[in-house]
Order: sequence, then structure tokens, then C-alpha cells
Amino acid sequence: MIAAALDPPVAAAGPAVTTFWGVDCGSSEIKVAAVDRGGRVLLLRKQRTLFPLAGHVHRALAGGTGELSPLVDDERVPGAPVGGVPRLLPGQQIHATGYGRSHIEGIHGQLTEIKAHFLGVQHQLQLDRDYTIIDIGGQDAKVIRATPGRVDQFAINRKCAAGTGAYIEELAHRLEVPMQSLPGLAAGHDRELTLNSYCTVFSGQEVIKLLMHGERVENLIYALYRSVVKRVLEMTAISTDTLVFSGGVMNYHPILVPLFAERFGDIKTILAPNAQYCGAIGAAIHGLKEDEENGIHHHQQLRPV
Amino acid sequence: MMRDYFADLGAASRDPARKVAWCTSVGPAEILRALGFAVYFPENHGALLGATRMSSETIPVANAHGYSPEICSYLTSDVGACLKGVTPLTKAYGLEEAPRPDVLVYCTNQCKDVMHWFGWYARRWSVPLLGIHPPTHVAEVRPEHVADVVAQYRHLIVQLEAISGRKLDPAELERAVARSREATDLWEEVLNTGTARPSPLSFFDGAIYMGPIVVLRGTEIAVDYYRALLAEMQDRVAAATAAVPGERKRIYWEGMPVWGRLRHLSEVFQRNRAAVVASTYCNSWIFSDFDPRQPLPSMARAYTRIFINRDDACKEAYLLRLAGQFGIDGIVYHAARTCPNNTNSHYGMPERLRAQGLPGVVIDGDLNDLRCFSDEQSTTVIEAFVETL
Repeated sequence: MIAAALDPPVAAAGPAVTTFWGVDCGSSEIKVAAVDRGGRVLLLRKQRTLFPLAGHVHRALAGGTGELSPLVDDERVPGAPVGGVPRLLPGQQIHATGYGRSHIEGIHGQLTEIKAHFLGVQHQLQLDRDYTIIDIGGQDAKVIRATPGRVDQFAINRKCAAGTGAYIEELAHRLEVPMQSLPGLAAGHDRELTLNSYCTVFSGQEVIKLLMHGERVENLIYALYRSVVKRVLEMTAISTDTLVFSGGVMNYHPILVPLFAERFGDIKTILAPNAQYCGAIGAAIHGLKEDEENGIHHHQQLRPV
Repeated sequence: MMRDYFADLGAASRDPARKVAWCTSVGPAEILRALGFAVYFPENHGALLGATRMSSETIPVANAHGYSPEICSYLTSDVGACLKGVTPLTKAYGLEEAPRPDVLVYCTNQCKDVMHWFGWYARRWSVPLLGIHPPTHVAEVRPEHVADVVAQYRHLIVQLEAISGRKLDPAELERAVARSREATDLWEEVLNTGTARPSPLSFFDGAIYMGPIVVLRGTEIAVDYYRALLAEMQDRVAAATAAVPGERKRIYWEGMPVWGRLRHLSEVFQRNRAAVVASTYCNSWIFSDFDPRQPLPSMARAYTRIFINRDDACKEAYLLRLAGQFGIDGIVYHAARTCPNNTNSHYGMPERLRAQGLPGVVIDGDLNDLRCFSDEQSTTVIEAFVETL
């Protein structure tokens, strides 16, 4: 939890806030973004998701020595014990998203990853038409249909991990290939294979069987990427002519973008800037928007009738 | 009231002069009552196993005995509990075991799993297994459907008379149907108080309040209970007492409850100031067709006309009507892994209703098998859905 004594949530609402922090507690990494009142992204940073979660969120927020932070200086000692109770500096607000969002106490607000990714994408791209966000994370994949102003509909992968980062990790492990080598190896494929199974474990078995038959690793990795595309597009029909990609998996595996694009005839594909940070940026923007709305309400109340 | 009901069932199962009948939840309970049976409803036991989360221990036992994890988890919870020799009735009502049946009576108006479920007990205890098989998934209940079911009731009555050792008294059946009608009308009025803003009750309350309409319909006890409950709800409406303080959005729950996560889900909605003001599940025990002047045909109509036994066009018209009546902002469809028959999101219904202005979202889960349910994922889906409304 974050001790908010210096800057309690109620007092924080209003023009006094100078920096809005967004934390995206994902299954693999904690991402942090900070934006100023003008919506400019001041910093982005991340660390692995470790437990106890709250302590590691504080670490991610604190950053290293000399870095911008919402926390008071004495809490920002590198290697400081995890689990301390840092305090907020005046003028700072923190909003959280991601699966761990409800486990961080003392923050100013929280929102779902669906809304956070939408806000992060829309803030950065300022799109003026309906579009679809494909956000592939460590343990889930989301397809979000949005207008410039709001989330219209969404779908999340069902119970299994196929089509998510966990699926890619598992198969990389089976193939004994480091994650970062996957895109390069896939580029060396010389034929298209199909992995059929919904199930990560069964897909692993398919891969092993193909390996036993002497299949090239490059072709298997390419098949793995194509399988991710298939799993995600099974979730819901795409009804817009613009596809935007966000999330950590797209960040590390941009080869997926053309693989998605080739499944459609005439479609515009955009890899969101700071794809992995769209959730964190969106959380910060959510804070900024809420603060602006509260400010407007405040002024309206003061306006003479 | 429930303690008395179960105490009586326990007494009936020990008394050689009395007979116990097991009945499916939307089976012909009125006939059984009129013939003097003490009536036990295994689905209620299934819900108790789910709500107490004992099902997490009992389902795997049934799975290990050849009953698939893919079939009704009421069935697997209940059969597993019997194999394991445990029951939530012990702690709740002091019964050592579920009352032993003299006859098992099912109706496939809800699904065919009930036949397999009761069939397991029929083999285990060598007890007669009697079934009603109405026409299923009908667009409308036509006279020939009613005639078919009435004929099956008549055959059932002959078999039941042999087991109970007494002839059916038509006046007794009329009284049972009249009491069922009265209770179900009161239950409907209770549920309709949810049209008030703010709603005085939520689906999660209703899932508890509905016990007597399931296990005690056809009795005066259920009538008295719902009369008192209605008065309480009307008081709450008059005082604007909200089930969800600060109610902002009004949600319809489609499908089975997730019994082991009622509180969790209730809190998720509460936190998001979304009130689940109506549900197919609670409404499924409104039987407005009951007519004591024609007991058997009216029972045939009532039990064949239930939502679960209708085609998609009927279901969609019903959902749109209730959405209008209750001022619904959106539907949460529960895709219950082991209850495909009471899951309506698998054949495009959410998309069709969305196109008619009724947005919805699907959460994956199950009535009793918590292996199929994720707290985190369902929370995200519900919260994100409420955000979009």
C-alpha cells in the first residue's frame, strides 16, 4: 500500500496535481508511465512482476536514483527492502490497471485493462474513426472495438492461454529457443505449417511430434506465430478497417503485425507507439481526465448563476 | 422454514408408512404432493454443494467414477457427495444423508442430464425411475404438446399410485396446484419489485430467496413466506432502500448462478454500482399457467413453457421484454461450462440482442465446478462491461 498522508486522494483532486502516474500490473511485467497535465508522456519504465506485488509496484514507481518518481526521496534507495510503505510527494496521483490493480491500496483510482489500453492508444494516436485494438498480453488476449471516444465492445480469450504470451513462452521453452531469437528465426521459414490445437499443452505435443519428424525449427516458430493470429481472430469478428496493436507480446514480436494484416484484404494496421506501455499510459491519462472532470465540476459549482 | 422442511424429509425417510419422492426442480411436484409423498429436490442439494464449495471436493470423486467433468456439475457434485458419504444437509439441517427415495421422478423439460443423474440413484438403490419427456425447445406450446404431456402425467400417476399405495384425490391435486399458483404469483411480485429504482433486491438475494419456490411450492408454507417477503420488499421500495447503494447501472443476469462465487460476484457488481435487478434464473419459477380448475393441462403448459425449453426467438423476445420492464442497461451471460442447456450465449444470441440495442457480455464459469471459473478474468470482464455502458 502507499501511504497517502502527504497527498490524500481527496485533497489531490484539482489543479494541484502536476503528474499523473499509471501502473499496469501485468502477469509478466509491471509497467509505469507518467504524464503531465498537458498529457505529455514524461517517462516509461518497467520491471518484472514479482511478489509481494505491492512492494514491487512501489519499486517500479520509485525508479532509480535521480529518476522522476511520485514517491518521497527516502523511499527511492536502490535495493531498498520490498514491502515498505512509501509516501507520495505532493502533486502526484497514481492510477492502476492490470490484473494486480485491486491489490494496490492507497492509489487514487483503478480501471480495467480494456479501458486503459483504449485510452493509451487513443491518446497517442488521436484516431478519428472507429478501430479495433488487439492487445496481446502475458496471460490474455483482448480484442477491443472502439470509437474515438469510447470502448464499444470487447472480447477476452477464454480459459486457455493459447494465443497469449504464455503460449509463446511455453513453445519457445519446448523448442529450447530464447524468446528474443524467435522473430529472427521465424523470418527464415521456408514453408507454412499449421498448429491446430486450442490447448497450449497439446500444441506443445504437436511441435514435439513435428520435431521428431525432422521439421525445421524456423518453420515451427513461424507456425507458432500464425497460430497466435488464428487464436486471436477466433475470439470475435473484426468489423473496422483499422487495426491497432498494443501489449507486450506485440512489442517483442512485431512480426505478428504483418501476419495479422495478411488475414484481411484492405485494412490499415498500426503498431501503437510504446505498445507495451499503452495500459500504463492509459491509466495515467484516466487520472488526468478524471482530474480535469473534477476540476470542471468544481468550476461549475463556483460559477455565479 | 427450510429446517422444518428437511426435518420432515428426514422423518419421512425413516417412517415406513411414508414415501419419499425425488423430483427435478421443474418437475411435476404437485402430483407428488397430492399423492402424499415427501418431496426432495436434488438440484437444491446441488446448489447447496456449490454454495458451500463442497462441490470442489465431491465433483472429482464422480469424475473418477466415470462421470465426465463436462457433464452437469450438479450431477457430479451430488453423485460425488453420495459416493463420499458427505452432505451439506448435515451441518445446515442435521440430516446425516439425503433422504432415501422410494421413487425418482424427473422431467426433461430442462435437460437430459437429470435423467442420467436420477438413473445413477435408480441403479444404486434399485428404486423406480419415472420420467416425463415433454416436447423440447418449442416456439409455442400447442394443444398437442399439452395433450402429450397430460397423457404422460396420467401414466405417471398410475405408477405413482402403485408406489404410494393410494389413489390420487383430484381435489388434493387441485389444492396443490392452487397453492403453487398462489406462491408463484407472489414470487413474481417479489421479483417485480426489482423494477423500482433503486432496486430493493438483486439477483444474488433472489438466488437465496428462491429456495421455497423450488422445494415448497404446492404448500401453504411457501405462500406465507412469499407474502411476508413481498411486504418486506414493498417496504424497501417505499423507503428507497437500495440493494446496491448508489445504483448507477442495471444489469440482467442470464444463465445459472456461480454458486460458489455468489458473494464475490455480488461484491464486484456492488463495487461498480451496478445492480443485477433481474435474471432468467429467478424468473424460471414463475408459472402463471397453473390453473386449479384444470390441474393437469395447466401443469403441462406451465412446465413445458419454461424459458429453458423454448426456442431462441422466444427467449430473445422474453429477454427484450424484461429488459424494457426492468430498465436494463446490459446483460451478463454466464456461459456455464457444464450446463450448455442453460447457457444462451453459444449460438449468437448476445450479438443478435446487441443489434437490437441490448448490449451484453459473456463470462465463462460454471454453476458448481470452480475449476471452470476465474475470479480475475470474470472481474475484468464485468468491470470493463460496466465501463462501456
